[in-house]
Amino acid sequence: MDSMYHGDVLIVDLAAGKTEQVDFVEADEAGPGLAAGLALYDRHGDADPLVFGSGLFTGTPVPGACLGFVVGRSPLNGDLAVSPLGMYAGAEMKLSGFSAVVVKGASAKPVYLWLHDGVADLLDASSLSGMDTWQTTDAIRKDMGESLIQVISIGPAGEAKSEAAAFSINYWGSGDSAALGAVMGAKNLKAVALRGLGMLDAEEPEELYNAASELIKSAPAERGFKRICSALGADDIDGWLKPIAHRHRSCFACPSACATFVKYNEPPSVLGSEGVEEPGMLVTSAAAAIWLKDGGWDAEAACRAMEAMARAGVDMLRGARELSAEPLSDASEITVAVKELKGAEEAAWPAGEAIEYGLFGPWVPPLASQDDWLAANRAGYVLGICPTCLLAGGIDTGRLFELCGPAAGIELDPAAVDGMF
Amino acid sequence: MAVPGGRLARAASDPLFERFRAEFASGPLPRVAVFVGAGASHSWIWFADLLERLGLFAVSFIDEQAVLSGDLGEFDVFMVGGGDTYAMAESLGTAGAAELETHVEGGGFYFGSCAGAYLVLSGVDREPFAPFELVNGNILNVMPEPPEPLCLAHKYLAPYGEEWVFHPVYGEVELGPGPVSNGFKCFEGRGTLASVLFGGPILSAGNDGEVAAVYSGLTTRAAYPWPEDEAARFVTGRPAVIRARHGEGTAVASGPHLEHPLFPRANALAAELVWRHWRSRRGNSVRRAPGSRGAAESSEVGVLLQEIKRQVSNARIVGFGLEKMPVTWRIGVKVWEPEKIRMFLDSAWRRLPCLEENRSRMDDTTCLAALAEGYSRVTGLARSLRTKVETGEDSLEEATSLLSSLKELTAKFLTLYFRLRRQEDVS
Repeated sequence: MDSMYHGDVLIVDLAAGKTEQVDFVEADEAGPGLAAGLALYDRHGDADPLVFGSGLFTGTPVPGACLGFVVGRSPLNGDLAVSPLGMYAGAEMKLSGFSAVVVKGASAKPVYLWLHDGVADLLDASSLSGMDTWQTTDAIRKDMGESLIQVISIGPAGEAKSEAAAFSINYWGSGDSAALGAVMGAKNLKAVALRGLGMLDAEEPEELYNAASELIKSAPAERGFKRICSALGADDIDGWLKPIAHRHRSCFACPSACATFVKYNEPPSVLGSEGVEEPGMLVTSAAAAIWLKDGGWDAEAACRAMEAMARAGVDMLRGARELSAEPLSDASEITVAVKELKGAEEAAWPAGEAIEYGLFGPWVPPLASQDDWLAANRAGYVLGICPTCLLAGGIDTGRLFELCGPAAGIELDPAAVDGMF
Repeated sequence: MAVPGGRLARAASDPLFERFRAEFASGPLPRVAVFVGAGASHSWIWFADLLERLGLFAVSFIDEQAVLSGDLGEFDVFMVGGGDTYAMAESLGTAGAAELETHVEGGGFYFGSCAGAYLVLSGVDREPFAPFELVNGNILNVMPEPPEPLCLAHKYLAPYGEEWVFHPVYGEVELGPGPVSNGFKCFEGRGTLASVLFGGPILSAGNDGEVAAVYSGLTTRAAYPWPEDEAARFVTGRPAVIRARHGEGTAVASGPHLEHPLFPRANALAAELVWRHWRSRRGNSVRRAPGSRGAAESSEVGVLLQEIKRQVSNARIVGFGLEKMPVTWRIGVKVWEPEKIRMFLDSAWRRLPCLEENRSRMDDTTCLAALAEGYSRVTGLARSLRTKVETGEDSLEEATSLLSSLKELTAKFLTLYFRLRRQEDVS
């Protein structure tokens, strides 16, 4: 697949401290996106790797094309699991100059991987040990001299290999609900930092661009979590967040800015960035917010808890579920409670149902239907389109599949994607 | 299927270049020197792009010391691009002017664009420009008290004695044929071509100056320090490119950057001017391939190339980050924006795959090691510069040092690259 991916597959042997590059044949043999990622996992499965990759459209102007992924064996249940690389990390993964990255083994000392324009540097991370994800992101960006570097890192939870751990994308957590952050910790891999200034070639660039522009016009460009909450069958959380909401942000190429930046260390009416250094946080997990709200948490306290979880590198989804049982308001109490999070396997879902883990993370009824959820994830991870975006509706999935031709010169049948995994 | 690689690759694939490549390849290739010395900005790297498109790989990048040492005698063509004309003239001095004159009188070809054009106009006769008189012409964009600019105040004016050189339009302009260029293929079709004017002169031709192109119109892809209609009245119909015969040779002064890589038809005009001179001179030159000292141990070459790639990438990433910051640096009379940093680095980055593909031909590990060390230093300088800019400190010293290092390194890199391409071409 010459178009839509550029560069080889990077194989990182952490134990040996070596990297090598091999041809990316999996996209042609198994299919693009997660299909190739799973094939790579199978190929190197003996080394219990983490596989980083991106979908077919990731990094293009196709609406919602922000999605990358990490595949690994979840320490929660020993099964294969996929965690999303959203925001700008998926696009940067695509542009890093590597079509996919397979990280094998464990390093004897803390290291981080700096991937830039087809160059892979395995660097000493001793000075980053013990840092939370915010400090790690700042330190790497300062050392490398660029604030747009996407940093996938672990905090103290990941370093301790806690089952509550998740990797974080920059400062704002991630959808890693399979504790792949703990796998990074076990590998002594503190972070993966990504930046690429390359370009993607499309088979028919003008046709792809025009079709993507048409799709964006027809997609709803909304702000906040309303549509997502509706798709999940939950009450809207925008009104709950509103008193502290400052602005909305979207992931790469997404017409909907669902992520909501909230300010609680200065008034949300302050527009400039010259005020306090850390005015608040970006709420990226609608589900975590729903659980805390439903648990009776005040919005500001809930956001402080999400900040603490993001900093510590704790999975917000499971953490919020565990915290929801006992609402807190004092900042220091929240910090202590977050530090004590264990992973919540035994904790009850607010509605009383058990968590069912699958390839795409926890399936928690009654939110949406499982069939819809799985279909959105399968299509999303192959094409590189945010599954939440697909689930919330507004983007014509059939037309998305038609773009495989101008993008990569291939035909992809939605039914065939269902059979890929 | 579209040409991959973006606008630059599409421009480079213009069929016009095939014709020139075939014509030049039909005999000995001209030996070309590109000026990278004092005052030269980043725009000389566009000459490297142009020469590569034309298949002209016998290229050297020389500074004022080489000119003053008489090195121009080794070359058939001398190209001087944009930058700080004062710094160029002062560094070359009267002796350098004499070297240029000797070069052209003896049958050489001088191509000056923007600053390189101001430098050699006979009408630009104030110190330190007085000794340089290769092209009989003058500049019209000069007056004692230019009107206040509507935009681009930091680029609008340059001092010229008691007067000021000013720029009423900055960006893409349209060029039409002059008497010299009737029948040039680059003007076929629309009858005009697009080029870019980045502070170059609006010209008037002297008696023996032959007009090769005129400013025929302005475009929407430009900034207008003057009201657009006034700029149009001032510029339109005026000479943009003048050719002058001088002894056995030819000198060309071009206001616009005909060598800019995104404008293939303007490239073709420059190529046509070089070719028409060269076809009558090429019997005097001999095609020579540089000697090879034998391939170095390939793993050593691979390691060094990877290190160069690593450091160029690191520096490009910092350079890109600097482009988001509201900062410029005035070095001499030239204003430098942060994006110039990446222009230097990109010129090496684009060519690295070719070096990697031809690593078995690489024979100069000393040069590769120097490049690797140099780009590592550049990465450090770029990061220091970014820290200074971010903290609001004065960053002129760091910027000057970085840009100077980049110029030197890029010339070194391109010298290696063109030597490799020439070996490949001859074999």
